[in-house]
Amino acid sequence: MITGGNGDHARFGDDVAPWLLGALATEEREAFERHLSACARCREEVAALRPAVEALPLAAPPVAPSPDLRDRIMRVVESEAQLLEAAGQTADRPEARKRRRPARRWLGSVSPSLAAAACALVVAVGVGGYLIGQSGSEGGGARVVAAKVSFPAARASVRTEGERASLQLANMPPPPRGRVYQVWLKNDGQMPRPTRALFVVRSGAVAIPGGIADADQVLVTAEPPGGSMVPTSQPVIAADTA
Amino acid sequence: MAFERRKRKESSESALQSLADEELMALVAKGQSRAFETIYERHGGAAFSLAYRMCGSRSLAEDVAQEAFLSIWRSGGRYDRARGSVRTWVLGIVHNRAIDTLRRTVVHERRRASDEGIEERFEARERTEVEAARREEASTIRGMLETLPDEQSRVIELAYFGGFTHAEIAEMLGAPIGTVKGRMRLGLEKLRGQLAPQGAMP
Repeated sequence: MITGGNGDHARFGDDVAPWLLGALATEEREAFERHLSACARCREEVAALRPAVEALPLAAPPVAPSPDLRDRIMRVVESEAQLLEAAGQTADRPEARKRRRPARRWLGSVSPSLAAAACALVVAVGVGGYLIGQSGSEGGGARVVAAKVSFPAARASVRTEGERASLQLANMPPPPRGRVYQVWLKNDGQMPRPTRALFVVRSGAVAIPGGIADADQVLVTAEPPGGSMVPTSQPVIAADTA
Repeated sequence: MAFERRKRKESSESALQSLADEELMALVAKGQSRAFETIYERHGGAAFSLAYRMCGSRSLAEDVAQEAFLSIWRSGGRYDRARGSVRTWVLGIVHNRAIDTLRRTVVHERRRASDEGIEERFEARERTEVEAARREEASTIRGMLETLPDEQSRVIELAYFGGFTHAEIAEMLGAPIGTVKGRMRLGLEKLRGQLAPQGAMP
């Protein structure tokens, strides 16, 4: 089914202004963005109206943030900068830049070097953690890969069978208050890609919608309810699925 | 620790201050926290003001600004100067974080928040020329919004600052969705015309 063709302009043309204003619901936005990538006319209209939308945030009356905000942000930044430094130069691989995936228009993603540093941390944590079983097949074409988990008593593995994939869990602690666990897929030198697999269960199987394709790694982080487009915390589970 | 931080900061601060935003972002991409702090100094105020205008509460706005700046720190390599200024990019990230937050919040709370946000309260005091310029800029853009027909400025404000979808706005105003979308477009076209009155832009 092709939904991105230029022939859809009549259907999507009215969505240029709502899209620029952020007024489309998630599914509409995704459909419009697919159309936009194929419709030169919509792209022209977006380019023509964008300056108006870019002026809007400047209309907000100036309000000073508290100095605490800067301190809170810089504490996190400093600690991550140290982590990055500890991960060393190897983390900053130039090819990562070239292979970057297109992102949603506003969403950043973790820098390759930071992601690598985060993974280095997980590996370090994983040493003290638990490693269950070994990679291997489980009859019927299923493949099970043990994951490193940063909680000593918890175990996790990724099970793939054809297109389907799931995360098998045992004894996970509940996520921090107000958070859910989110599953991410990562390829070497790239940023983690969010999946729709969100969970709070502590034991059992969590399906990964769409499978894991050719991901080199499956990661889990704690995120706000609804999930994130970029990880906002360090991975607590990491499985090498390459 | 704060002292040590300050000491290190002094050594590089003046050098960083002289760099353009785009040059700072290249350093942020390499994990240089001082460069990031300079970006925060330059745009944190505008970012927080936008978040506050949208969320209507300091604590929500601080959460939004914090999430946004941490994602900027972590995605430093993502900034692409071909697509606009660092400021525009930063504010775009804040806007979208704020929308995510608003959409997670119960509707009646949001409505109240968006009403409160329309009032101009707790404005930053004019301590510096930069802040004075910001206030002037804000009032210029607001002036432009005010020249739009009410029905157009209302849908733009509800969408952009209120975080409501076009369908929610249509329901609130008792107007058909097509009408709401049309008003958004007309309003943005007019605003665009005011920003470039000579039609000099391509």
